[in-house]
Amino acid sequence: MREHDVVVVGAGLAGMRAAIAAHEAGVDVALVTKLHPVRSHSGAAQGGINAALGNETEDNTDNHTFDTVKGADYIGDQDAIEILCERAPLEVYQLEHWGAVFSRQEDSGKIAQRPFGGAGFPRTCYAADLTGLVILHTLYTVVVKYNIPTYEEWFVTDLVTDDDGNAVGVVAYDMIHGKIETIGAKAVVMATGGAGRVYRPSTNAHASTGDAMSLALRKGVPLKDMEFMQFHPTTLAANGVLVTEGARGEGGYLLNKDGERFMSEYAPNKLELASRDVVSRAEATEIQEGRGIDGCVLLDLRHLGRDRIMERLPQIRELAIAFAGTDPIEEPIPIRPGAHYHMGGVHVDNWGAAPHMPGLFAAGECSCVSVHGANRLGGNSLLEAVVFGARAGEASAAYAQEAPTPHVPGNAADETQARIEELLLRENGPRQGEIRDELAAVMQEKVGVFREDATLREAKAKVDELKARFQGVTVDDKGKTFNTDLIHTIETGYLLDLADCMVTGAIARHESRGAHSRTDFPDRDDENWMMHTLAYLDDGEIRLDYSPVTMTKYEPQVRSY
Amino acid sequence: MASTTFRVFRFQPDSGDLESYHQDFSLDHEEKTTVLDALLRIQNEQDGTLAVRYSCRSAICGSCACKVNGKTVLACMTQVEEAKAESGSSTLQVDPIGNFAPIKDLVVDMTSFWEKFKAVKPYLIPDGPAPQKERLVPKAAMEKVAKESACILCAACYSECNSLAADPEFVGPAAFAWGYRFAADERDAQRKNRAKLYSGQHGIWDCTRCMFCNERCPKGVDPRDAIEKLGAIAFQEKVTKDKGARHAKAFLISMRTGGKLNEQLVGGLTDPVGGAFNAPLALRMLQKGKLPASPLTHRVKNRDQVTKLIKNVKETI
Repeated sequence: MREHDVVVVGAGLAGMRAAIAAHEAGVDVALVTKLHPVRSHSGAAQGGINAALGNETEDNTDNHTFDTVKGADYIGDQDAIEILCERAPLEVYQLEHWGAVFSRQEDSGKIAQRPFGGAGFPRTCYAADLTGLVILHTLYTVVVKYNIPTYEEWFVTDLVTDDDGNAVGVVAYDMIHGKIETIGAKAVVMATGGAGRVYRPSTNAHASTGDAMSLALRKGVPLKDMEFMQFHPTTLAANGVLVTEGARGEGGYLLNKDGERFMSEYAPNKLELASRDVVSRAEATEIQEGRGIDGCVLLDLRHLGRDRIMERLPQIRELAIAFAGTDPIEEPIPIRPGAHYHMGGVHVDNWGAAPHMPGLFAAGECSCVSVHGANRLGGNSLLEAVVFGARAGEASAAYAQEAPTPHVPGNAADETQARIEELLLRENGPRQGEIRDELAAVMQEKVGVFREDATLREAKAKVDELKARFQGVTVDDKGKTFNTDLIHTIETGYLLDLADCMVTGAIARHESRGAHSRTDFPDRDDENWMMHTLAYLDDGEIRLDYSPVTMTKYEPQVRSY
Repeated sequence: MASTTFRVFRFQPDSGDLESYHQDFSLDHEEKTTVLDALLRIQNEQDGTLAVRYSCRSAICGSCACKVNGKTVLACMTQVEEAKAESGSSTLQVDPIGNFAPIKDLVVDMTSFWEKFKAVKPYLIPDGPAPQKERLVPKAAMEKVAKESACILCAACYSECNSLAADPEFVGPAAFAWGYRFAADERDAQRKNRAKLYSGQHGIWDCTRCMFCNERCPKGVDPRDAIEKLGAIAFQEKVTKDKGARHAKAFLISMRTGGKLNEQLVGGLTDPVGGAFNAPLALRMLQKGKLPASPLTHRVKNRDQVTKLIKNVKETI
């Protein structure tokens, strides 16, 4: 058995930042990732990272905190949001010190900042439209420099607990060599990213299957606020590829089929730079009411001019040409809302520690601290990943330094091995691809931008049916080496768990708040619903519970943009 | 709807058969379909044993590089119909990237690639403690490394590299693009050490300048240009002891003095000791008329223009 003090699952921004922090705290930390670190989906984030540096205009941490509390539609925990915004400048400076190639101001040489949705000031630091890639690579260079051991293309199949219910490691499948092994640890940090693949279209990578959430859920850890899935207002019609909010930050307009800038109807003050839930609903309404073009509206960048597009949005141009056959210098891009970011995740405290399981930590999109509440502001996800990644790394290292040598069950890998062998031997059943496709379609259709009781219940029935069918799922590839068929099958099981949490939570929440928009309950209901949803898995069924929202100094207000 | 035959490279070590082969899959698909989407449909609908690396499907994670009709591309950003039109055939052949050993089907062993990446010290090594806030870097200075910062490490360049095909130890275009990204970063304090590190055996001077890396890079990084810029940095830092650097320098002297390539001069300056003993080569060159009888040959008429050109190039770099 392999052993480390801390094992971090997932090597995107949150995972690598956690591993670096744990390493700097002096413990033996290892990364485990089903990809290679530079393939992580954090690299696809385009627009930027928020920090109240005040480089463009006066700005301060309080402004950032207020914008985030308001953007969250008041169910973000305000103490956590204060931590996020206070540490933001430090983390951005740290990334710069490690070598991140941020775009710069012309004269001063300071980090440049652009305006983003839901923010009162130009607060988003960026590297053209490759911000996620640049930061991901920067963190990987630090991992290389520190020589942090990294298990690449190792897929985690189980979270291991001891007799007292403490997290003491993981079981993982070494995809290249076809071996299943236990990696013991005093603390486990989960940082596997989001579950956007529950939906289609989605901006998420094929690999974004919410693994950590399901692993924790199956061991009795609750997931928080799972009904809140963010739809990004601008994704390419062809396949849901992301078009950064930076495109609107730079001055891009949204147009309907009549060439009208329709956002003036929905958010007269902030227009295209209202928060994402507002813009997504506006687009969905235009499309539903017949003012779209083939199920899309248009994003017009032409007035920005060739030079600005080439300097600030080069990747957007490349993707629009490759996937939409449209050069944004010449013509507007057809776009529509697509599943993008999951506000929900593993229930953790402000240090990323799971109160229900000692030794378990989570950070980044797979966790719910909760700083995004019901709706995340653009530029806050990369920030959350580094701030709470660092804190989870620090906290897990401190925990590991105090923890006794863990009693890792010797047969943990054997149980996994037996389960997988049983799955490989099974004949004559449905294949994961068809189950996954049906799941994505029903979630998109019935648990989308707008929701209502009847269709949510239809979605729940479909998820239940798919869960039942999944019991007999079969795998084509019976081999051991790089068996993607097997990996995808296990991932599909994860997606079904998470879809169940999302739908069950959405049926129960009788209000509209942030990304959760019920046509049958159109108003926010602070009296009854100012609380977090906790979803548990009991005997295969989802059970809901609720917990209070932490407020410090911001009273809920009507949210207008 | 369109129909395409995909002739896919197969290597299935678990089957006990260690020979590779090609297998044809027919697929009916929408006109607008990418090679990656087609491969995933084949995997999902026809043969679950097909192994492919992929993740983001939006041309940024770099995992799905493969060869389509012999050219290295990202499968996710290659339209099937466009690739067919280019080749004039309704069959697309899909192979793993070159210069790597296969693990299974299109999945290759990239260990050497990552090791070489790590060998160029791909991290910032500044002098002194960091300031309280950000370091101030002029916009133009940061833009100088923007192109190389867009490298996604997909290994398309490595797949096409002729120097690597001849010398598997050659560090390769992607790692050198990263090397330049740090050597040219004004926040880094290791410019001279990097010039030395990259100039040694299997280093920048071993590039054959075939330009395939530039041509096939899906992100416009132009690794060959980065290697060239590293060469310039080596000269600026006076790291010129390497045989490759001496060769380049000898070219320059020959051009500056005579306005043309003087093989005798270049050979002598590149390798004064070894060159003197290389009589058989000299004889063969003499026979082909490539070697003048006297090293003191006449100057070309337009030497002024050549000098101007050299000056221009120096100023641009």
